[in-house]
Amino acid sequence: MRGGTVRFVLRRLAQLVPVVLAIAALNFALAKMAPGDAADILAGQMGHATLEFTQQLRREFGLDLPIVEQFLAYMGRTARLDLGVSVIQQQPVIELIADRLPATLLLMVTALVLAIATGVALGVAAARRQGTWIDNLISVSALLVYATPAFWLGLMLIVFFSIRLDLLPSGGMMQIGVAQTAVGKVLDVARHLILPAATLGLFYAAVYARLMRASMLEVYGLDFITTARAKGLSEGVIAWTHALRNALLPVVTLAGMQVGHLLGGSVLIETVFGWPGLGRLVFDALVQRDLNLLLGILFVSSVVVVLVNLVVDLIYGLLDPRITHK
Amino acid sequence: MNALRVFWRRFRNNRAAVGGLVALVAVVALSVAGPMFYPVDPFDMVGQPSVPPGGEQILGTDVAGRDLLAGLIHGGRVSLLIGFMASLAATLVGLVLGAVAGYYGGRVDDVIMRTTEFFLTIPSFVLAVVLVAIFSPTILHITAAIAVVSWPSVARLARAEFLAHRDREYVQGCRAIGMPDREIILLQILPNALPPVIVVSSLMVATAILTESGLSFLGLGDPNQVSWGYMIGVARSVLRTAWWMAAIPGAMIVVTVLAINLVGEGLNDALNPRLKQR
Amino acid sequence: MNTRTLSLALVVAAIALGAALPAAAQKKGGTLTYTFHPEPTAMSTISTTAVPVSLVASKIYESLLDYEGPGMKPLPGLAESWTVSKDNLVYTFKLRKGVTWHDGKPFTSEDVKFSIEKVVTPFHSRGKTYFGEVSAIETPDAHTVVFRLKSPVPYFLRAFQASESPIMPMHGFTAEEIKEGKIRTAKIMQAPVGTGPFKLKEWKKGSHVILERHPGYWKAGKPYLDQVVLRVIPDGAARAIAIEKGEVDLAPMSGLPPAEAQRLGRLPGITASQEGNEGLGPIMWLEVNNRSKPLADVAVRQAISLAIDRKRLVDVIWYGQGKPASGPIVSGNPNHYDKKLGPLEYNVDKANKLLDAAGYKRGKDGVRFKLTQNFLPYGEEWVRQAEFIKQELRKIGIQVETQSLDMGGWLKRIYTDWNYDFTSNFTHNYPDPTIGVQRAFISTNIRRGATFSNSMDYANVKLDALFVKAAQTADGPARNKIWEEIQAILRNDLPVIFLMEISYTHVWNKRVHGLITNGVSMYSSWDSVWVD
Repeated sequence: MRGGTVRFVLRRLAQLVPVVLAIAALNFALAKMAPGDAADILAGQMGHATLEFTQQLRREFGLDLPIVEQFLAYMGRTARLDLGVSVIQQQPVIELIADRLPATLLLMVTALVLAIATGVALGVAAARRQGTWIDNLISVSALLVYATPAFWLGLMLIVFFSIRLDLLPSGGMMQIGVAQTAVGKVLDVARHLILPAATLGLFYAAVYARLMRASMLEVYGLDFITTARAKGLSEGVIAWTHALRNALLPVVTLAGMQVGHLLGGSVLIETVFGWPGLGRLVFDALVQRDLNLLLGILFVSSVVVVLVNLVVDLIYGLLDPRITHK
Repeated sequence: MNALRVFWRRFRNNRAAVGGLVALVAVVALSVAGPMFYPVDPFDMVGQPSVPPGGEQILGTDVAGRDLLAGLIHGGRVSLLIGFMASLAATLVGLVLGAVAGYYGGRVDDVIMRTTEFFLTIPSFVLAVVLVAIFSPTILHITAAIAVVSWPSVARLARAEFLAHRDREYVQGCRAIGMPDREIILLQILPNALPPVIVVSSLMVATAILTESGLSFLGLGDPNQVSWGYMIGVARSVLRTAWWMAAIPGAMIVVTVLAINLVGEGLNDALNPRLKQR
Repeated sequence: MNTRTLSLALVVAAIALGAALPAAAQKKGGTLTYTFHPEPTAMSTISTTAVPVSLVASKIYESLLDYEGPGMKPLPGLAESWTVSKDNLVYTFKLRKGVTWHDGKPFTSEDVKFSIEKVVTPFHSRGKTYFGEVSAIETPDAHTVVFRLKSPVPYFLRAFQASESPIMPMHGFTAEEIKEGKIRTAKIMQAPVGTGPFKLKEWKKGSHVILERHPGYWKAGKPYLDQVVLRVIPDGAARAIAIEKGEVDLAPMSGLPPAEAQRLGRLPGITASQEGNEGLGPIMWLEVNNRSKPLADVAVRQAISLAIDRKRLVDVIWYGQGKPASGPIVSGNPNHYDKKLGPLEYNVDKANKLLDAAGYKRGKDGVRFKLTQNFLPYGEEWVRQAEFIKQELRKIGIQVETQSLDMGGWLKRIYTDWNYDFTSNFTHNYPDPTIGVQRAFISTNIRRGATFSNSMDYANVKLDALFVKAAQTADGPARNKIWEEIQAILRNDLPVIFLMEISYTHVWNKRVHGLITNGVSMYSSWDSVWVD
């Protein structure tokens, strides 16, 4: 089993390289389809640029080279993990991404943890009390949340918690201007994180709650649960140890598959809350035709998604034998 | 005919699904018949800006003094139209490609699967944004963009179904008697593979509406149409003083999407009863 | 002298001294915090003249002259004095002595020659516009610079603004950067060295920029402020909150959503001002593609102009932050605006009659013809405006279909493809209409791919000749007559539908003083700004 797993991982990692490069090539083609280029945008920003000046900008940034040359240069750089320089922001793309990545990771990880914790807890509770008012309440709430557009939910939360109650900040990641101790900074970021993470996470919590509930109900019908009950174990122990471990698998698998979806959702959430993450950056990069930055972020995102898929497959492979061989 | 009646009986048993259906019909009716009974142009500046509900305009006005109720009615048209058409298109494409991949296997399957993989590595909302930005926001382009990011999941499901059925005895039998592939796919396997696809498809309508509202909120909606997402985006600048302007269209989205989800689940229960009896 | 006389003398002296002191004394010290989005990408306008960079770079760098008032009257800056030859072809500047760069090295005429010749002219977006006619720059000694022009440039003295021709140190560039022309991406663009009242102390991208006073600044006693700080706040509503709570002192250049600016301006401790922009002269119009029927017909364009209620546009869509336009030149420009003009007329009946008479009958559905509308993708208000225009034109039977494009798509469609009917557009007069107005209407600037050029295909031979003459006549009554004629022709021909003099609204806390000094106040050095 061990050797097989290692070979499996190595094989998948080796496949990763051509897959990611192919994705990078397709991203380039896609991005180049957008009309206008960064030279136009820069000239437009300056408000008064002659044709010669725009063309000069194009030459300065290599945007006047034949497209095949641009493509080859881009692929060559990407293969070396050199993401180039942002023409609009005049900074290396790696730096810009590194700047914003922590904020996005913080938001996504917090949202995911919240979603899984809440979803699993509620799903287990609903399954244990199947048919009661608790079950119905949880199911209906999950349905409602699942039907709510995340960006609108975010706005409504801002209206309630920030504008009406003045309990939480309405946007940003940190309070401006105030010098703070390290602990103070952590608390400040935490305060700013609550609403966006909750907004992003609630949707997935609803999904996981329902999935967890269905999964638990399915597991309850299996033989080894009856055995456990015969052994005299309490319902609580059965639910939270035996049943949970097995029912968790689909939820974890789904969570892994939704990393890409989370990234997409963060575009809207970061816009609503002014959270300085990659989601908003990729949108801005697109609008400004900042090709290197746009492609750089898509590259990083695709690597992350491919890696997470690999990890999920691994986990699935590890956990699966236990269920089938019960 | 009998199958239809059986289906309806099963569906009717799910009270939530029936409730959802009623709500959905109401929303559709409002959108279709609304302009006849309330012929106000949602772009007409009929009143003072930011008037609260309960005045001359029942639901109030937006930042440019336009009637919110008219916006709601017209928004329904846009959202429902895009939702249904995008889902339909995605289903058709996904079904065809998934069936071919699942039935024939081999190189064809490989190519199609690799394609779906590519689509799954770009966050679907980001891809939709890129597509709409490239081709400029119109109802047609938005529908197409949402269809493009949605078909992979249908394809994967269809592929799994066709793969499972391909090796069943009844299909082997059909092949043995020399039935052409096309007939096997369309007349034999498809009716069996369809139910889960229908369920996924109907749930996709809800996702499509959510995606469209997100695009409109970001300013990527069709500028000649008022949609619910657009209304929320407009209201954002006055959230502090006129929160209802964003609350009302958002509530409409929730009601509509919830209704569709309930109907979708009802369809699932009615079409796949054996799954429920686990 | 006895005690009584002494006390009396003291009292008199005190009164005399008190009368000599100004009523409100400029306070020395303190920090001015401003906010704008997006944040600057460089510290010199050579890299880009976009607003965020112009805002910050103008505190770090200076040019030969300073300017006063909305008319932009030239004052001594890095140049103590100057003379102009009778034929307006030779400008001699005597530079100030004892000026040092932020790194302590002395400022000389070599720096001026280098900056204009090797940096501004080739790389500044308006460099060639200002200095294209310069045939030679001579430096007879370390404190004299002589510019020789090939032909007269009436606005030459207005070229020496900090944001238009920043003087940069020759020693601030490496030999390689100069040789290879890598000026726009030179290191000094991120780590500036200037002569201005403030130098860069700290720049944390995504968060803030801190400028601190330059102790060796050549104006004795200035700057009054100790620090100028830029706080990066990406969200418009959050910026407004920051102003309201006093966390930030100033939001310049329409950095706040107009609804917020309007609301905040009504609060007791806050000022919302539209002054200090006359040297930029922002103006907004509907750019019309004169190639496409029926827009080629001047009657149609005049009818469209008559159908738009500009006052309602300003009040409702722009929250009162602007003025209805009267022509290509903004009314606040004291030098070239024809004061006899009034705002363009609003008369829907007249518009309808005009279209009827010109032969564009209404169909059964009331529609005469269809047009496609584009709009500048600068934000929410521009979308609202497009919706407003669509409704206004319905009143005269024109059915408008709006097309939404992002900036890249819009630029390509309007300026490269020329594939549009009409679009909203926003441009500047700049300190001289030859710079800002001519390029939009002269037929030689009908060039594919040139942004903000003559995309309308408008070619008026008489107008072309007037433009050329105005570009070569010295500023004065004769030149003003030419501009009057130009304004009259454009008002009548309406190759574009002039809509509105958009304002740059600046919102500041009343504890800040001295911000409005000239026609480009936000792009000035702020050396005389002080805070309570």
